[in-house]
Amino acid sequence: MAKITIDKTIFEFEGDQPSLLQFCLDREIELPHFCYHPAMSAPANCRQCLVEIGNPERDRETGQIMVDEEGNEVIRFFPKLMTSCSENISDGLVVRTQRSSDLVRRAQKDNLEFLLINHPLDCPICDQAGHCPLQNQAYKYGPEGSRFEFRKVSKPKHIRLGPRVVLDAERCINCTRCTRFTSEISKSHQLTIVERSVKNYPMTPPGIEFDEPYSMNVIDICPVGALTSEDFRFKARVWEMSSTPSITTTNAKGSNCYYWVKDNRVLKITPRTNMNVNEFWLADDDRLDYERFNDDRPPGPTVDGEASSWEDGYARAAHILGNVDGNRIAFLGSAHASVEDNYLLARLAEQLGTAAPMYIEHVEVGSGDDWLRTDDRAPNASGCARLGFTVADADLFGPRLKGGEIDVLYVLEDDPVSTGLCTSDDLQGVSVILHHYNESNQTLPLATVSLPAATVVETVGTFVNIDGHAQRVRPAKAIRGVNRTLAMEIGRSRADQHGTPFDRWYNEENLINCQPGWVSVPGVANALGLDMPTTNPKAIMAELASTNSAFEGATYSAMGEYGIRLSEIGETV
Amino acid sequence: MEVKPTGQSKAGDWKNFQRVLLPPVKDLHKLEVYEAEGGYQTFRDALSTAKWTPPAVTEEVQQSVLRGRGGAGFPCGLKWTFMPPVDENVPRFLCCNADESEPGTFKDRQLMEYNPHLVFEGILLACYAMSIKTAYIYVRGEFADWITHMEAELEKVYAKGYVGQNILGSEFSTEIVIHKGAGAYICGEESSLMDSLEGKRAYPRVKPPFPAQKGIWGYPTTINNVETLACVPLILRYGGEWFSQIGAERHPGPVLYGISGHVNRPGVYEYPTGMLITDLIEQVAGGMRNGKKLKAVVPGGSSTPILTAAMIDGVTMDAETLRDAGSMMGTGGMLIMDEDTDIVAWLRRVTHFYHHESCGQCTPCREGTGWLENIVSRIEEGEGNIRDLDLLVDLCSQMEGRTVCALADAAAWPVRYTIERFREEFEARCRPSLVPGAEVMETVE
Repeated sequence: MAKITIDKTIFEFEGDQPSLLQFCLDREIELPHFCYHPAMSAPANCRQCLVEIGNPERDRETGQIMVDEEGNEVIRFFPKLMTSCSENISDGLVVRTQRSSDLVRRAQKDNLEFLLINHPLDCPICDQAGHCPLQNQAYKYGPEGSRFEFRKVSKPKHIRLGPRVVLDAERCINCTRCTRFTSEISKSHQLTIVERSVKNYPMTPPGIEFDEPYSMNVIDICPVGALTSEDFRFKARVWEMSSTPSITTTNAKGSNCYYWVKDNRVLKITPRTNMNVNEFWLADDDRLDYERFNDDRPPGPTVDGEASSWEDGYARAAHILGNVDGNRIAFLGSAHASVEDNYLLARLAEQLGTAAPMYIEHVEVGSGDDWLRTDDRAPNASGCARLGFTVADADLFGPRLKGGEIDVLYVLEDDPVSTGLCTSDDLQGVSVILHHYNESNQTLPLATVSLPAATVVETVGTFVNIDGHAQRVRPAKAIRGVNRTLAMEIGRSRADQHGTPFDRWYNEENLINCQPGWVSVPGVANALGLDMPTTNPKAIMAELASTNSAFEGATYSAMGEYGIRLSEIGETV
Repeated sequence: MEVKPTGQSKAGDWKNFQRVLLPPVKDLHKLEVYEAEGGYQTFRDALSTAKWTPPAVTEEVQQSVLRGRGGAGFPCGLKWTFMPPVDENVPRFLCCNADESEPGTFKDRQLMEYNPHLVFEGILLACYAMSIKTAYIYVRGEFADWITHMEAELEKVYAKGYVGQNILGSEFSTEIVIHKGAGAYICGEESSLMDSLEGKRAYPRVKPPFPAQKGIWGYPTTINNVETLACVPLILRYGGEWFSQIGAERHPGPVLYGISGHVNRPGVYEYPTGMLITDLIEQVAGGMRNGKKLKAVVPGGSSTPILTAAMIDGVTMDAETLRDAGSMMGTGGMLIMDEDTDIVAWLRRVTHFYHHESCGQCTPCREGTGWLENIVSRIEEGEGNIRDLDLLVDLCSQMEGRTVCALADAAAWPVRYTIERFREEFEARCRPSLVPGAEVMETVE
């Protein structure tokens, strides 16, 4: 097997390998770097990842590897230090990193000194501070002071490159990650470097706005605070927020993300790497879809338009459901709700002798692309389909309501009026039980019983994306009241592992009075006297994974952080 | 005062040297005059004679020991052999690098003005030798007049049928495209030249892959300097043997010396390589202006290390000798400075140039060139500190060899060697409290 020696440790490898830098990073050997990004070409322009590289010296005539008196291979090192990002791995390569070479340590320090001389060092007011590769690596590998005694270069500041991205050119270290993103990844070609020498910075071509639907990715890949979010800048420091790994729900792709929460409010959404779903990227509309988690939330359950307790809500819902024939009830599942919630709804329908729930399709033709945005604007249509739900057809549904065939409409986390499934007139004389996220839900004024539902950032559940990838969501912020499952899940989901009321994301005033579907649906069922344990979603999925072939293997432990690809289902949809 | 040569010239009987690159023929730039002088005959011969197969042409150029005239001095014929075998489905390119912009260098301009057909013929022969069907001439944007001039002459060459499809009835076809550069020193670096030619921002590329593997548009490419290509027809006409006998043994051939500065007759002069620097100053360029004493010589464009008057005794203009003397041949653009020259001011101007022209891609060059200029400017203004000199040398070490292309080295060498060789002058300009003898503060580690 081929081998490579890094700081006297021998690593064996087979087949094609990435660059030396990536090889080291994959093995948790840290090498400082700025311009290198695994998804893009390596221009080797930051010059930070310098290492010493040598090859065994071979006898010119015999081709044999030469050895010294002690029997060690004679290594000939390149006279110059090499950038590890642009270096390929070959058998016998010997590498000295900053861990074993003074020369490399010195060179990396020199380079950081250069990087910092014209950097404004305005970390105290910079959004990037705290998770800034330049800041971190300067502390770790940089010089202790600076020998630079001149005015720093002045460059344009707070330039609006487009509707969502703001540039501070002085902070830029010209790594060209952003311009390479637009030329190699999104292919919008909306950014380029202008000017020369120390004056250069990224800019849009004349007359062009940086408005592509993926523009905000450059904010994450910027290794300094040069590119910031118009939406988020100056809102919070990174250490004031908690981040929770989860997925976004604006469309059926289920891109992996982190929800950043402060004072129990979601403040920003950033991508989370998942090579099977979204790789490193996230669409702009996914990132900006957080206000509905914070604002426009209902104050609590209502009965006949009046505020009520949860118990009264459940009792009234049970009373409505219990006094009508099962076939005069219509259940609407939801492509916005988790698999668990929909499954419990299906169980409720089954126990009441009603047909399986249907779900509303949220397809907006033309809104997607062939990357991370789909025409389907809901996250879990696949999950509904796999549960055997059919799409609710407006042409059939409205007339059925109008024709008096249905007395009770039970809606799980959706809005049949605004989506055009039926009109308010159709619902006259129909009792509506509604689980809803927001006050602006247009079915809400017609609801007899309304039960506020926990959103994707407040619940535990499973969503199946358009490609059949089943992924878990985790609670990023707390809801009002005590729920042991959620509390434990919060603690397990986050890097800091706390999740106590003393935590920074916790704020009594911003706690929403809502319940996850896997609490409120059994609440209604239990009030009916039906057998549906208020069980936790983990057990529900375990049950589904073993009993329903469409979810085979989709247990919480199997899905983990990155989800699993479910097997294809036949044309039963 | 006269500078007395002490070493041995390698240029032989240079006083009777017959100019071949820029022969004294009136209106040679005109096609009919060039043809009357035997021009394009070599190319006709190459196409029609069985002896001149493409490999034979390359072989002859290798025999001649022609070394690149663009500054690095890489053997031209060897470079040609790096091209991969011909594959009809893979385009390949030649690029004539006419982005002449190193301060002190102005020889290619003369060739383009006075003997453009020699360059065209060299390009055609190179294309023939490497089976290349497209040749670009990347001309520095500021050379607008020379671009117009060459375009007019190229039209005539096309009309005459020396360029185009099935040239002169042979199987060989090639096109020549004159490309106007977008105006930056960095475009003269071959890999950024290719980016610029492709319409991109001129950023040097990481090597490997080298141009012969992945060049223009990602296809095999050879890039040669104007003067290098102009030597090719001469080599084929008079023989590689003839060429290799001219001037210095390991760096032979006629070469254009661009002499500027404090001499009586600055200009471009064609002589064999291996001329004594003293001969070039005294005999060729008419001696120092106003009878002043010589102070320093920069032998090959502003980036090559400066030589003091004492260092040039017996030094000849060829790569090996100049290397041993502590400098480089570069482009042969010699800057001659007399005793009145303010060497600090000179260095400030040079650092300003490299600061202005750094493309800004690599950190050490982008940041270092500006810092160098800051410090040298401060010294020139009398605000410098003695420790600045050590800092400058330190910064040079932090830049050299740490970047994608050689611009950082080109920027650092003048600083390093000017301080090394004229340190007293710099010290004398630093703040009085810290002149030599006073306490020297330690540099920050």
